Amino acid sequence: MHAFILAGGFATRLWPLTESRPKPLLPLVGKPILTHLVENIPKDLPITVSTNAVFADAFHEWQSSLRPTPYAPIQILIEDTRHDDHKLGALGAVAQWITDAKIDDDILLLTGDNYLGCSIDAFVKSARPGTPLLAAHDIGNLERAKQFGTVVVDKSQIINRKSQIVPVASFEEKPPNPKSTLVSTGCSLLPRSTLPILLEYAASHPDNVGGIFEELLRRKISVDAYVFSEPWFDIGSFEAYLEATLSLVGHNVLSGENAVMEKTECAGSVVLGKGCRVINSTLENVVLFDQCTIEDCDLRDCICDDGCELRGIDLRKKMLRKGTKLIRKD
Amino acid sequence: MKRHRILLLVWLLSDIIVFCAAYSAAYFLQVGPILSTDFVFGKFFAVTLVIAPVWLVVLATTRTFGLTRNQATIRNAAYIGYSSLVGVALFTVGYYFTYKEFFSRMLLIYAFILSGGATLIWHILWQQIERSLLRRNPPAFPTLLVGVTRESRALLKTMRERRSALKPVAILDGRGVKDTEIEGVPVLGKLNKLEETLEKKKITHLIQGSDLEQSINLLSACRNRGITYIVLPSVFGIVERDESVESLEGVPVTVVRPRARWWSWFLR
Repeated sequence: MHAFILAGGFATRLWPLTESRPKPLLPLVGKPILTHLVENIPKDLPITVSTNAVFADAFHEWQSSLRPTPYAPIQILIEDTRHDDHKLGALGAVAQWITDAKIDDDILLLTGDNYLGCSIDAFVKSARPGTPLLAAHDIGNLERAKQFGTVVVDKSQIINRKSQIVPVASFEEKPPNPKSTLVSTGCSLLPRSTLPILLEYAASHPDNVGGIFEELLRRKISVDAYVFSEPWFDIGSFEAYLEATLSLVGHNVLSGENAVMEKTECAGSVVLGKGCRVINSTLENVVLFDQCTIEDCDLRDCICDDGCELRGIDLRKKMLRKGTKLIRKD
Repeated sequence: MKRHRILLLVWLLSDIIVFCAAYSAAYFLQVGPILSTDFVFGKFFAVTLVIAPVWLVVLATTRTFGLTRNQATIRNAAYIGYSSLVGVALFTVGYYFTYKEFFSRMLLIYAFILSGGATLIWHILWQQIERSLLRRNPPAFPTLLVGVTRESRALLKTMRERRSALKPVAILDGRGVKDTEIEGVPVLGKLNKLEETLEKKKITHLIQGSDLEQSINLLSACRNRGITYIVLPSVFGIVERDESVESLEGVPVTVVRPRARWWSWFLR
């Protein structure tokens, strides 16, 4: 089996945090989202991370930061695109990799900007030989389900009650009227027998990763769902990022190396990156990346990129770009 | 920038020439086409030359030389009229204190009308010349518009029609507008292209037309690169053109008042 991580998006919704780094490398609770994912992959699986030329250096740097690594070799595959409109498409990138690298093996397909709370090892071990498997999570909200691939399962035919393996009755990618709140989580296993179908489908639908499951079901190939209840986050927006942080950190303060906090009131989840300095302030649901200085401020629901310096400022629901200086002068 | 500085210098010098010419014309209009021995032109012109730079400073305080100031407006005409009035007062005081002599009051009226009128006409003409030279490729002030809305589209149209000194060269839109160009200006993508656009297009001015939540980040990018940041009132929901920037205890604030009689403008 070979793990393939899709990390080629340009992440415009999380601008300006993604101005200097790709979304999978955004720090989440002290380390990049991608590191959370890689740490969760069984150690013996070779991993390929697919990205675009714009962020190539950032991924190589991230790869270096993992050394010495306990993981199997990680290969960074650079798609030669610098703009959204030149992209191969997510499924197109998978297909090209299969063709170029002559992959003839089962594929563990993962999305680089998703946080998966469940064990990928358990997921892989739950798969039935030759049957595609996707990880599904109940988000409990039909409106939100419109943004994802929704999964309708046949609960009368539970295959493995302990690990919640259920046959998929139908799959719809971003449906306008979802029939289920169970959604696909960007983690799936495609047996090698399905790769020719993937290549064929990718040629006409290069952007539609979820669509491959619709296609498999259309061809009467059974697909299983691994239903898990552990946390899962698709970190595609400011709100999702803060929600993920709150869920993982809880109502606590998480301080990075050499971070200093004095005379400061905190509420909700607060994350301080390396070398941050917070003095005489109020913070509520705030994430500070590295080397930020906050003095005499009231920040609520804010994310500050590296090196921000704020003095005498009140802010609500803001993402601040790297090196922002807001210094009140009376 | 260099082009603008040279043009500004030429403008200031030409204004002094226009002022002196207007006063000379006032002299000959009053005295006739002769060089009077009672009211010597040399003395008159010497005082005019001395007060001309002071008049220019007064005119500059009205910000009439501002890059974005439209010369053909009533407000600008009023500012020039006010400066001309101060010029006449300066001349009167200057001439009397220098020579202890009185002269025709009609001359002062001519000087006021001619200097005010000539300056306004020259400014309107110069605006056309200056804007044409500033917009010539590569433009002196390449401008980036961020955020496509009805208001920002209208602004682009106005800037094109009036040949604004700020020449829009690129548009970015946080929500990804479908147009590939608006009023001949290319739409280059979303905000992830900001740094690339600022760098490649050598942007000097950034106009924010929407995406209020990104104001701090756009301002931060502008501060880092020494770019002038301009924000449309519509970003704050002010679209009726009844706002004004005023001072509240010394702090600049944007004010929108209930509609009132025109004369209440003087009593605000």
